[in-house]
Amino acid sequence: MRDSALMRRPAVASEPVRCGDLLLEAPGGSILQLLGKAGATPPSDMSLPEVAGASPGLRNAGPGQWFVVTDRELTGPEIDALAARLAPSLHVVDQSSGRFRIRVSGAPSRRMLAKGVALDLHPERFPVGTATSTLVGQIGTNLARTGQDSFELLVLRGFAQSLWDDLLLMSREFG
Amino acid sequence: MASRVPCPHCGLRPKEEFTIKGAALPRPAPDAGEAAWIEYVYLRENPRGAYDEFWHHTSGCRRWLVVSRNTLTHDVYGARDVALGGETQP
Repeated sequence: MRDSALMRRPAVASEPVRCGDLLLEAPGGSILQLLGKAGATPPSDMSLPEVAGASPGLRNAGPGQWFVVTDRELTGPEIDALAARLAPSLHVVDQSSGRFRIRVSGAPSRRMLAKGVALDLHPERFPVGTATSTLVGQIGTNLARTGQDSFELLVLRGFAQSLWDDLLLMSREFG
Repeated sequence: MASRVPCPHCGLRPKEEFTIKGAALPRPAPDAGEAAWIEYVYLRENPRGAYDEFWHHTSGCRRWLVVSRNTLTHDVYGARDVALGGETQP
């Protein structure tokens, strides 16, 4: 399926937006979902050289499930090779078109997200490198902390524009 | 209503992330007879006090949990994964 010539349109037709110290961007790249049985151990960095550079490249999405996020767009053969390496304990599903990646960075990002996220985002409770699935407002999102003041959100494509608009609204007080 | 639920996988989460299915009752044997099955499928106690319910963590880890709570005081006693166990207290 990946080899057919599909028309690619971005889920959110927007350039990066700056609101004061806050920056909202859509970094693109590839999103793969890893599906295993609950209790499956996460794949080691050795078996995922593709994620080098992205942090975190491997994101928790529930017991036995992870998202692999890469800054570079992976090709079909690369994804097939990854799937072959992780089989049979983990199944790989390409979600690059199914989900959309949003990056929020800047000093007030935690305060901004707190308007829609019911999690404690203090660095001691949600340190750099952690990821979890939760709600932002009413929209289901995989939220990851990529730095002290930067977060990334993975959202289903159909909700991407809504979430983007919500984040802009939540950012308005800072810029 | 319990407002924060201690998910064994995700930690304390707001109730908005969950879908509640209903009482967690022991399933009768396949040959238990019509009366036992009618009771299991249709009849509910609606207790005032301690209650075990199936909750699905729809917007989180998507696991089925059994949440033990008190319908009178709104206390949450704990939650465990239906398949994996692992009781967690709030």
